[in-house]
Amino acid sequence: MLARPGLPSFDYVKASTSNEVTRLLEEHGEAARLLMGGTDLFVRMRDGFIRPQIVVDVKHLPGMRDILYDEQAGLRVGAASTMNEVARHLDVQAHYPLLAEAAESVASYQLRNRATVGGNLCNGSPAADTGPAALVLDGRIVLYGPDGEREVEAGEFFISPGQTAMEAGEFVKAICFPIPPAGAAGRYLKLGRNKVGDLSIVGVAVFGFPDGTAPSGYRFRIGLASVAPVPLRALEAEEVLAANPPGEETFARAAEKAMAAATPIDDVRASAAYRKAMVRNLTLRGVREVWEQMREGR
Amino acid sequence: MAEFTSNPVGKNVPRADAYDKVTGAATFVDDMQFGPGLLYGRLVRSPYAHALVKKVDVSKALAVPGVRAVVTGQDVPARIGLYLIDRPVFATDRVRVVGDPVAGVIATSEEIAEEAAQLVEVEYEELPAVFDPVEAAQPDAPLLHPDLGKYKVANFIFPEPGTNISEHFKLRKGDVESAWPRCAAIVEDTFRLPQIQHVPLEPHAAVALWEQSGQVTLWTSSQSPFAQRDLIAQSLDIPHGNLRVVSPYVGGGFGGKAGVSMEVYAVAMARAVKGHAVKLRMTREEEFIGTTVRQSLVAHTKIGCDAEGNLLAMETQYYFGGGAYNDYGVNIARAAGYSCTGPYNIPNVKGDSYCVYTNRPIGSAMRGFGMPEIHWGIEQIMDQLAEKIGMDGAEFRRRNCVKTGQTILTGMKMPAVDLVACIDKVTEAIGWEDRRGTARPCPAAGPRPSTPHKKRGQGIAIMWKAPAIPPNPGSSAIVRFNEDATVNVEIGAQEMGQGVFTVAAQMAAQALGVPYEWVRVSAPIDTRYSPYEWQTVASRTTWSTGNAVKAAAEDARQQILEIVAEHWDEDAEDLDIKDGKVISYKSEREQPLQNMVIYGLPNENFEGWKGGPIVGHGMFMPTYITNLDPETGQGVRAVVHYTVGAQAVDLEVDTETGQVEVLKIASAYDVGKAINPDLVLVQIEGGAVHGMSSAFEVLRFDEKGQPINSNLVDYRIATSADVPQEIHGDIVETPLEDGPWGARGVGEHVMVQTAPAIANGINDALGIRFSDLPLSAEKIFLALEERKPTEE
Amino acid sequence: MATHSITVTVNGGKEYLDVPSNMTLLQMLREKLALTGAKNGCAAGECGACTVLVDGEPVNSCMMLAVEADGREVTTVEGLAHEGQLSALQEAFTEHNAVQCGFCTPGMLISAHALLERNPHPTEQEIREALVGNLCRCTGYLRIIESVQAAAARGGV
Repeated sequence: MLARPGLPSFDYVKASTSNEVTRLLEEHGEAARLLMGGTDLFVRMRDGFIRPQIVVDVKHLPGMRDILYDEQAGLRVGAASTMNEVARHLDVQAHYPLLAEAAESVASYQLRNRATVGGNLCNGSPAADTGPAALVLDGRIVLYGPDGEREVEAGEFFISPGQTAMEAGEFVKAICFPIPPAGAAGRYLKLGRNKVGDLSIVGVAVFGFPDGTAPSGYRFRIGLASVAPVPLRALEAEEVLAANPPGEETFARAAEKAMAAATPIDDVRASAAYRKAMVRNLTLRGVREVWEQMREGR
Repeated sequence: MAEFTSNPVGKNVPRADAYDKVTGAATFVDDMQFGPGLLYGRLVRSPYAHALVKKVDVSKALAVPGVRAVVTGQDVPARIGLYLIDRPVFATDRVRVVGDPVAGVIATSEEIAEEAAQLVEVEYEELPAVFDPVEAAQPDAPLLHPDLGKYKVANFIFPEPGTNISEHFKLRKGDVESAWPRCAAIVEDTFRLPQIQHVPLEPHAAVALWEQSGQVTLWTSSQSPFAQRDLIAQSLDIPHGNLRVVSPYVGGGFGGKAGVSMEVYAVAMARAVKGHAVKLRMTREEEFIGTTVRQSLVAHTKIGCDAEGNLLAMETQYYFGGGAYNDYGVNIARAAGYSCTGPYNIPNVKGDSYCVYTNRPIGSAMRGFGMPEIHWGIEQIMDQLAEKIGMDGAEFRRRNCVKTGQTILTGMKMPAVDLVACIDKVTEAIGWEDRRGTARPCPAAGPRPSTPHKKRGQGIAIMWKAPAIPPNPGSSAIVRFNEDATVNVEIGAQEMGQGVFTVAAQMAAQALGVPYEWVRVSAPIDTRYSPYEWQTVASRTTWSTGNAVKAAAEDARQQILEIVAEHWDEDAEDLDIKDGKVISYKSEREQPLQNMVIYGLPNENFEGWKGGPIVGHGMFMPTYITNLDPETGQGVRAVVHYTVGAQAVDLEVDTETGQVEVLKIASAYDVGKAINPDLVLVQIEGGAVHGMSSAFEVLRFDEKGQPINSNLVDYRIATSADVPQEIHGDIVETPLEDGPWGARGVGEHVMVQTAPAIANGINDALGIRFSDLPLSAEKIFLALEERKPTEE
Repeated sequence: MATHSITVTVNGGKEYLDVPSNMTLLQMLREKLALTGAKNGCAAGECGACTVLVDGEPVNSCMMLAVEADGREVTTVEGLAHEGQLSALQEAFTEHNAVQCGFCTPGMLISAHALLERNPHPTEQEIREALVGNLCRCTGYLRIIESVQAAAARGGV
């Protein structure tokens, strides 16, 4: 069925308290949907995949749009912060440049004025560009539900395509990131069909930092998008980089391990074979660049 | 910006429509206001690629509050077509593509119409489908049009009833069989391209009003209001004089709005709600697969040359995937057939061009009308042969390209063009490196790639195209004045961004003798008021409409001169109009045009008057196109003229990802005379990008024929970040004998050969030839991977 | 379906409107206010033909609900010229032949306007990236990029 010309009918509600949101979600169940940026919700409503009776706008709840940085506590990004707000925030750029880069890689400037980090993560799409960033930066997703507030580590948040650890009646309030280790560097590399602005065929987040407890003197975290049912960490690749002296040979071995961790499918955007090879090639590029940045103390 | 431009032909005057377009004032059909009584339509479309329609039950849809009517094939048992009348307005007994319309719902809002459309119940009996044109051409393929033999068809199209072949064009020149043994080198290959879509920024839209009186008005985004009137009038039995088609600015046509696609549904639906205007708009998703697309093609080609590199023979077969209805497609297959040598001088040619029904979206006119499709293979195989014989690709083309006066494949003499000049210009602009005698890839030669894992290459491709028109397509024009001597030029040619309103004004101003700024083309094009224009297609309007405009302006000029001559008692030959004033070379008297062009001139002492309202009219229709022999494709004059051109590209391939970055495109086209040189250059730029984008585009379907990327998320086109750093354009001017000031068109030509130029560049860089579109990064990367073990 | 009474400032003028929940900002502008400069090209946030400014930031108006514009300031292409005087960008587009069919032009102008407001001297790459969400099929983009550079060089928007 082709997409319909406009949105089907529904009731829009602008929520003013978190409890109001959970109450509405509990009351209406599947017939209620949360509205953040709408960049995914409206497309799916036009496509006929979902047909909510009530759409609850959560962008205006206190703190949902705040981006707060504290030298001890780290970064707290309100779930309704737009990609542009995250990308241009001076504290994000200074202390979490990988997150800024991931946010800026999404779609177009116009869409980044609407698309939100919270929305990006809680769609549960394996292609979410902020997914690998959340994984490698040790992000924690702050949820609010009928039983109050709770936190889920990014690594536990993604369950399967379209499914996250959010339970009925819960919504995302914020994503928190701890202070990164000293001397850390990171890159988010994204491959699309256009040079800029596409969904990812493959997304690779590489995060590295000096660590005396690692035999190589460095630890890396590698997050992958679009190559598995969920965004995931390439743990064996990370182990190779922690255990072996840094250099082209180690990097290449790590890239092979990252490729092995990927279980992509064939879809309209690319084949599994291409995606696997691109995981390897992009991981290699990313690790080389992050290593260079760390060496130069950037 | 000058406010007074004399003799504007050949000058870069500003566009006539720019102000309206940058302020948002320019009106497109969906912007037109029809008041609160406007009704909306939505179509019910087949979910199957091929099926019989057993039953259509509209009762549930009719019951939805706000629904005014539902129209089905039972209500409208009509077919429509231009060259081959094969398309039912609404499906009656059979659907032939996913999306084939079965019914139309009319309601008080688009939302209600859509809801109700979902409630129309159709019983289908699925039939086996066929998607590949070669398969579909086989005798045992599922038959899409069992009644092909009963369809009305133009006398130059030859369908084969009982098969899926809707056209077979034959070209036989010389004797290929005796030529092969004389060839020092022969290359044979198969080239494939999928369907792609025009992706105009403005989706198709139409508003139709069928009045109780029988007067019908259709407002639509159309390149060809008169053709739409003709086809819809015939199809729905409306007297031509009762059907009025109005078209405001077109937001991109590219051939997709050249004929009738969805407009006939709007009119058929309007008949069910007489007295109420009905708007039908295509969503972007419908635009992709429910309007028209460019045909797919499988081309088998074999060419050979002698030891000096002179082409001796070509044998080629084209299987065009025409889609469910081949109305325009048959003429594309024909045009491809009589153009199959490409712009080359080949003495022995055997060509067979087939248009074949497939259960795919309707293949139709898209910028180039078969030329991009066939040049994809031609320009690659020429490169292959050049490489085999050890010649540089540019040199091979200089030697073999068609020259003025040579006899081309249809037996016609090539009109005056300078393709060698075009080749010279692009090789110079790109910094062409001679590849004579070198195998591909050439790592040592050539410009340095920007990083070690990138490979750099250059590619060249040339092209030709003639307007693919019937023998008698007419243009006409009217020139009228206002009291202040500003001029209204009425034409039927449509502005879709190519600039025809601007160049028509330039030509009228020049021919009349008034400043450009005094002249305005009347818009919108309206069949009730605008003079007849066959179609705004085929890159023909600068030439054809231009001739009509020039004639109309000269007619007005002559009328004015005769009145003033009589008034002054002088000879009209001694008078002229310059900058809006009649002047006498003899007596040096002056008469401003103001007022006299409406009121005439009083005699002495007001004893009577001379003259009156001046109305100039002109028309142009070529009269020299002849038929082609159905067995050999030979004829005295197959086409009116050719525009030729060359493109060279400089590109890099990232061997780690397969991504291609086109660094620079150099283009040169022989346009005869650039009426507005900058408008030619912007066509060159836009065409180069469109051509480049087309190399990477593809419409995808699953095994049941369901479209899987009929949206802008997954059908990617070039964005601002993808375009080359530099697009260099050169204009060559070899005058066209019967062109206004020597001008001929270029709107399509600028994108015809970009895709094979890029493929040739990739071959230069990697030593891999890609015979099938699209040139996706994935395809290139996997081909590189596959080759790896065989490298040293 | 719920209807909402909203107040939106459009091109400097306050508008009091009743809009259904499912009406997009684009539909509101085109159907309620007859401001047809913003165009419907895809209804999916991909083509950018519907781009308008909301509180100075470009958004795809087809992907925002009208009710979400309550209390906010919206600028459309019709609001770029001041008392008949074209903006620097509008002048540049006409001078550099950056307009062909004109359908993408309003959205392009809005995106370019917002770019020059936040970055008065963008590099070519920055211009390209800022316009990635505005598709054009006619011009090939180079004249558009050139126009933005020309307007920036004149110190205008």
